[in-house]
Amino acid sequence: MIFVNKKIVFFVLLAIINLHPQTSLQQQFDTANELYNQEKYFNAITELKRLKLFDKENLYSFQSNLLIGKSYKAGAKFDEAIKYFTLAEMDATNDEGYFDSKILSARTNILRRTTKQAERILNELKYDSRFMLKANEIKYWQGWNYIFSDEWDKAYEIFSTNNLDTTLANLCKSVDEELYSVEFAKYSSYLIPGSGQFYTGEYISGALSIGWNILFGYLTINAFVEDRVFDGIMVGNFLWLRFYSGNIQNAEKFVVQKNLEISNKALKYLQFQFKGEKP
Amino acid sequence: MKTKLFLILIVVCSPIYSQQIDFNSPQNIKLFADFLFCDKDYLRAIEEYEKYLKVIDSDTVKFKIALSYSLMNDQYSAFQKFSSANNSSTFYEQSGIEILKSLYLLKEDSLFYLFSNDLINSKSQFSNNAQKLLNTSILMTEKKLPDENIFFKPFENEEKIILRKFYNQKLNRPYKSEFAAGIFSAIIPGAGKIYTSNYGDGITAFILSGLLTYLAYTNFEHNHPTRAWIFTALGTGFYAGNVYGSVASAQIFNAKVNFDFENGLKIFLEEKNYFTPTYDLCK
Repeated sequence: MIFVNKKIVFFVLLAIINLHPQTSLQQQFDTANELYNQEKYFNAITELKRLKLFDKENLYSFQSNLLIGKSYKAGAKFDEAIKYFTLAEMDATNDEGYFDSKILSARTNILRRTTKQAERILNELKYDSRFMLKANEIKYWQGWNYIFSDEWDKAYEIFSTNNLDTTLANLCKSVDEELYSVEFAKYSSYLIPGSGQFYTGEYISGALSIGWNILFGYLTINAFVEDRVFDGIMVGNFLWLRFYSGNIQNAEKFVVQKNLEISNKALKYLQFQFKGEKP
Repeated sequence: MKTKLFLILIVVCSPIYSQQIDFNSPQNIKLFADFLFCDKDYLRAIEEYEKYLKVIDSDTVKFKIALSYSLMNDQYSAFQKFSSANNSSTFYEQSGIEILKSLYLLKEDSLFYLFSNDLINSKSQFSNNAQKLLNTSILMTEKKLPDENIFFKPFENEEKIILRKFYNQKLNRPYKSEFAAGIFSAIIPGAGKIYTSNYGDGITAFILSGLLTYLAYTNFEHNHPTRAWIFTALGTGFYAGNVYGSVASAQIFNAKVNFDFENGLKIFLEEKNYFTPTYDLCK
């Protein structure tokens, strides 16, 4: 009987030794989680860092790092967020945790516009056999990565494949159709100066461009016709050529500017009105 | 027997209960604050140190709070915290030189000169550091520079080599005259820009103004008044633009001279950490 009681005592002691510090760590994690849910990100990070310091056995290491990363991400501190997602990735004890950390890291990279980095992470997950069932989720974020890389056509392809997300597919398609072609603006300006500007709706600039080119073109040709070869070379080289090349550069500049306005308008819509999941 | 065993259990359990982590004990708060401080998370470190100070008074902790503000470049708060150090504090002298750094960065010139002179005359272990910061700061102002021997006296040899360049530049800034640049370009188009080291623009202005003048002249000569007037108008525009551009170019050149000088001096001071000592607070 005494032997049995000794055993009980031993187990009770063991349980107390293991459970009590763990309980206080659990309480600390719960407090931090509560702060995170209340959107008090600064305080959540403080409490999670405190937990990390005292969690000698790294019992909460993965959860803490992940939540610190999420808090930093919510506060738009992307560099710090990525640092903690990487730590979470290293501390992950199962595939699910590893996947979540990686995806969050990719999403933060998308927001930070380090889209090459996001692409690398997403491709790693895509070719990892453990995550074959998560293919759609990976594709979804690849689509978003293309949006933030200004590759709306590729984003449309991804979202429209197997009806991954029809709202996003339609939006990407309409943006892609709305975008001006840099090549068309440039090459049309090679043929008819000012046409690239007309194409982007910059009529005054287009009219001025064609005006200058007609004037200096006329003066150059006229000089050659009247055998004033030196005049012709000088006017042609220093004035006509200058305005001609300026017109092409100008057309390209307008297209880039207009495309940026279109992209920004679409991104604004996604930020404020799109109801689905965002990076 | 059972009762005995339970008693033993209770006795044994009570110290184990106390092993439960008390995150808010002063020792743990300080431990966490130190961790944050060394992790350069100064804002959180300040918050934790303040919590600790409510329970235990500590000069080191007060100094670390002030230093955290300084490292976050909140110089106003740093100045206030360093100023609160009393002369019995272990960090009293260190606080003095830190106050000087804060005043310098706050651009509180009159207070800075007053305090630096006090610190120099106090013969503290940082009097020489204060003298160094004061002398370097003079290079940034319009004040008359002290004699070379006096100016370089507090500095080490390596510092002297760097500062001599700034000292000489301060005495003789390589400015370009805006008036001269305008006149040069009025006489020879583009010459003002070449004078301000803007060679590409200078040569372009010379060629374009010359070409347009020539074209206007030959068109008048060959009785093509319309074309001649177009080239005259264009040539006049380029000529006036070239004179105005040369004056602007001299202004830009001088602004760049000032910028390079001030930026170079700022980098030097940052590298030297404003002549404040290095602390070993993260052992």
